[in-house]
Amino acid sequence: MPTMFPAAAVDDLIKTGGSTRVNADVRPRFAPGARVLVRNINPVSHTRLPQYVRGKRGIVERDHGVFVFPDTNARLQGEKPQHVYSVMFSARELWGPEASEKDKLYIDLFDDYMDPIE
Amino acid sequence: MNGIHDLGGRHGMGPIDIDPGQPVFRADWERRMFAMFILAFAGGHFNVDQFRSAIEQMGPAEYLQSDYYEHWLHSLETWCKTNGSLTEQEIEDRMRELSKGGA
Amino acid sequence: MSEQDGHKHDHRPSDISLRVKAIESLLVEKGLIDPAAMDKLVDAYEHKIGPHNGARVVARAWSDPAFKQRLLGDGTAAIAELGFTGIQGEDMVVVENTPQVHNMVVCTLCSCYPWPTLGLPPNWYKAAPYRSRAVIDPRGVLREFGVEISASTEVRVWDSNAELRYLVLPQRPAGTEGLGEAALASLVTRDSMIGVGLPRTPEAGAKR
Repeated sequence: MPTMFPAAAVDDLIKTGGSTRVNADVRPRFAPGARVLVRNINPVSHTRLPQYVRGKRGIVERDHGVFVFPDTNARLQGEKPQHVYSVMFSARELWGPEASEKDKLYIDLFDDYMDPIE
Repeated sequence: MNGIHDLGGRHGMGPIDIDPGQPVFRADWERRMFAMFILAFAGGHFNVDQFRSAIEQMGPAEYLQSDYYEHWLHSLETWCKTNGSLTEQEIEDRMRELSKGGA
Repeated sequence: MSEQDGHKHDHRPSDISLRVKAIESLLVEKGLIDPAAMDKLVDAYEHKIGPHNGARVVARAWSDPAFKQRLLGDGTAAIAELGFTGIQGEDMVVVENTPQVHNMVVCTLCSCYPWPTLGLPPNWYKAAPYRSRAVIDPRGVLREFGVEISASTEVRVWDSNAELRYLVLPQRPAGTEGLGEAALASLVTRDSMIGVGLPRTPEAGAKR
């Protein structure tokens, strides 16, 4: 049940925040350098996977570590902690051959949003 | 969900209104709305994913036409009503009382 | 939800100000919101927390190469050395502008932004025009902000769709050798740390 958050705790709240990082020993499915294909999922419920990267091919640049998975957490169906990666997409991969050949887009994708490209 | 909030790559949204001198809060209700969201979140009314999820379920025209903190108002109301903390009747009754009392 | 409260799906509430007042008074009366806590929060984000924090991080990085390396390796820990921790800055990534790379940050899905270092985001950052175009036409967006990036420089756009928050480390302007950290910080604009602007130059003068 919701409670009243007291004024005395505000300073600490501001300084501490609430990281969604999870201290769990979860195995990553990808390593930096891995080539990935973003899944074409279209849930009617909450997701943090925008339409513009679905079905696109990118490269994992960094593993940020393990975080709460928003898609299930939004429905109170569990935190399902998993790795989040910084994934790079070329502008042309996202927007077609008329796009800049130089520019890049980086987005943070969960394990459940991607499959490996062999 | 494939809602209107998923804006990346859309065309036709118009020029960016840079408005360099704007204050942090443009009206008192924005200040109150900002603080209420933080405290409701900290008090366990919803998690951040639930909060965003409710905003995403706003009607698309309302989402695009409303001021930013109206999105937060919509979500706070949604969750307070779901949790039983507020009803629409209570809100309307209180609005009537406040405007009669000359707020 | 829309059946429950009788509102039409796309109906905006009339008299927002009165409605917010009503909701606040109800939540306070029911003991769910502490009015003293409200005032503390407003004061913190309206008057204390802002881009002057991020400017100090940038100035430190420009002055201290070891700090800069720590900042780029673990943004959260390095920024915490200056005390800028907390809500919407719990997991920070700092990305460096160089002659080869210009970085720009957006949240296409909502308005995610690094509050402890930059304060609350400007309205344009949270609105549809920037959120939609930053990822598909970053150079056009930069032009609207008066910034032209050369064709030989790579533009990198970072979409903050998860809980990582991004801060751009702008390039140090020429002619700033020998300036102390405070003077350097006064050249660092909020927009340069989002990636839609460049820092001021010493000739142009420090910001007020």
